[in-house]
Amino acid sequence: MSAIQASDLIHRFGEVEAVRGVSLEVAETEIYGFLGPNGAGKSTIVRILTTLLQPTSGSGSVLGHDVTREATTVRRLIGVALQEAGLDPKQTGRELLTLQGKLYGLKGRALSTQVGEVTELVGLTDAIDRRIQTFSGGMKRRLDLASALLHRPRVLFLDEPTTGLDPLSRALIWDRLRELRQRFGATIFLTTQYLEEADELADRVAIIDHGRIVRQGTPAELKAEVGADVIDVTVEEREAGAARSAIQQLQSSGELPAGELRGTQAGYTLFVPDGPQNIAVLIRGLDRAGVRFGAVSVSRPTLDDVFLAATGGRMAAADQDGEGGQERTPEPAGTARGSS
Amino acid sequence: MSAVGHSAGGPVGRDPATGEPQTLAAPAGLVSDVVAITGRAIRGILREPELFIFALIIPLFFFVVQIGALADVAEGQLGIGDYAAFQLPISILFAAASTSGGNALVLDISNGYWDKLSLTPAHRSALVIGNLFGELFAVLGYSLVLLIFGWAIGIRFAGNELVGAAGLLALTLMFGVGFAAVSISVALATGSVRATQSTFIIFFPLLFLTPSALPRELMTGWFETAVSVNPMTYVVEAARSFLFGYDAGVVAKGALAAALFSAVTFGLTALAFRRRVRMG
Repeated sequence: MSAIQASDLIHRFGEVEAVRGVSLEVAETEIYGFLGPNGAGKSTIVRILTTLLQPTSGSGSVLGHDVTREATTVRRLIGVALQEAGLDPKQTGRELLTLQGKLYGLKGRALSTQVGEVTELVGLTDAIDRRIQTFSGGMKRRLDLASALLHRPRVLFLDEPTTGLDPLSRALIWDRLRELRQRFGATIFLTTQYLEEADELADRVAIIDHGRIVRQGTPAELKAEVGADVIDVTVEEREAGAARSAIQQLQSSGELPAGELRGTQAGYTLFVPDGPQNIAVLIRGLDRAGVRFGAVSVSRPTLDDVFLAATGGRMAAADQDGEGGQERTPEPAGTARGSS
Repeated sequence: MSAVGHSAGGPVGRDPATGEPQTLAAPAGLVSDVVAITGRAIRGILREPELFIFALIIPLFFFVVQIGALADVAEGQLGIGDYAAFQLPISILFAAASTSGGNALVLDISNGYWDKLSLTPAHRSALVIGNLFGELFAVLGYSLVLLIFGWAIGIRFAGNELVGAAGLLALTLMFGVGFAAVSISVALATGSVRATQSTFIIFFPLLFLTPSALPRELMTGWFETAVSVNPMTYVVEAARSFLFGYDAGVVAKGALAAALFSAVTFGLTALAFRRRVRMG
């Protein structure tokens, strides 16, 4: 039996089709990364699979139980931390967890033991009796995660559990998730807009863009699909046209192998086999053509490159509040630096 | 952490007999859910004592001003025995309508806590019923404060004091919870903080198109007509009846009016609740 299954999920909000036919299957004890930019439909799919939202059509199930028809059963099996950690600021952490536990049917000593354990697991033992209004953003996230773990769910849904967290808190959450899977055999469905998070944690990754899954597989498989090394060249806006034609010239003359060339916000990305050798050819060629360029680098493909190859856009470009998007200047409208 | 373990030998998190996946979650039952949610609602109310003070200041202000303005005329020329006693039920009903009602709920909806509670296997109706009980608690608190205040300035019930006080309280609670249901409905239907707060406005026609300042016998024209069709009129008259001589007929009418009012507002709440659950 698969832990999570969805077939042909479609969801419309009025005119807007947020989810456009998503099918997926997650095996038990798997960590499944759901990767996509803001507004790709990740949260809507999580809300459907966690019984909060009824799909316009299609169906979903958790451990064999239909999320619409057997919603209460599903709710007992899952633990959920939504993107907006909705926590009542007037309660203390302990009160919130205790109330949560009661609603899951825990009571007495078993309840207080569980509250103590999940509190310790997320490292909030010292703060747990304070009002939630005094908690920092990272502490609220951890409390929310603790509340999702309280009834020891079989399947965990975490909607962007680390968005907006500092690197230290992020690393702590990653550690806890690995530990959860190892110790309790929990299945984890994790949405993220951070490529390194999906790469680091997930056994399998689905890349979602505009309400559709565009690629799916293990991070290694997806990177292998790109099938080439990645050369990034930084060029200034006004040199873009010259750089493009210089590279295309190198390709047509056979000096560079014919690989995919894509415009990015900072310059160009070239997908070619044998990157280390071809980077030299590229630099010489650009130099010869008199193109002024900045940094040139070669790397093995990352999930970002998979995303780029699949959608034609960089994750960072769509990422509005993540750290990736801010260091690049947005591409001005009207400049033609599309893919070749 | 060592205590976190699953049944030895069997697969992790599964029922050893059936092999079905298991968690620690178990059905808690509607009563347990309601008790848990009510407890949280009451805790929230007690942690915002400033709301309590606000809800009492305005009714007390009206009470003092009305008595200052009209007591001499009312007692001297209109023959109302004790105008302070005449005004006390108005003040109590006013306070009952000053509960934050749907405010706590709409905050939950807007900050996402409602979603969090909806993700638990608890009965979803418990999320609303618990809030209504919380409001009931607030209304009881306001009413008791005002009753004690009335007692302190010498207002007495007709007949048995305890029966009178209990009767007035019961009537006030019936109305108060019905009134709270109006803003809870708006909270559920709209999820808007502003819309929910503005439901307080309906309180004005409801409570001032009544014999609030003068007995109904002295009214004429459109005002008298409006007052006669307002169910609150009968609630007010019943409430006064506990102070000015108990009249079973008047009390019954008042109880019926309060019950009808609450039935209607509970109906609205149920509709709004279904809409909210469907919307997700």
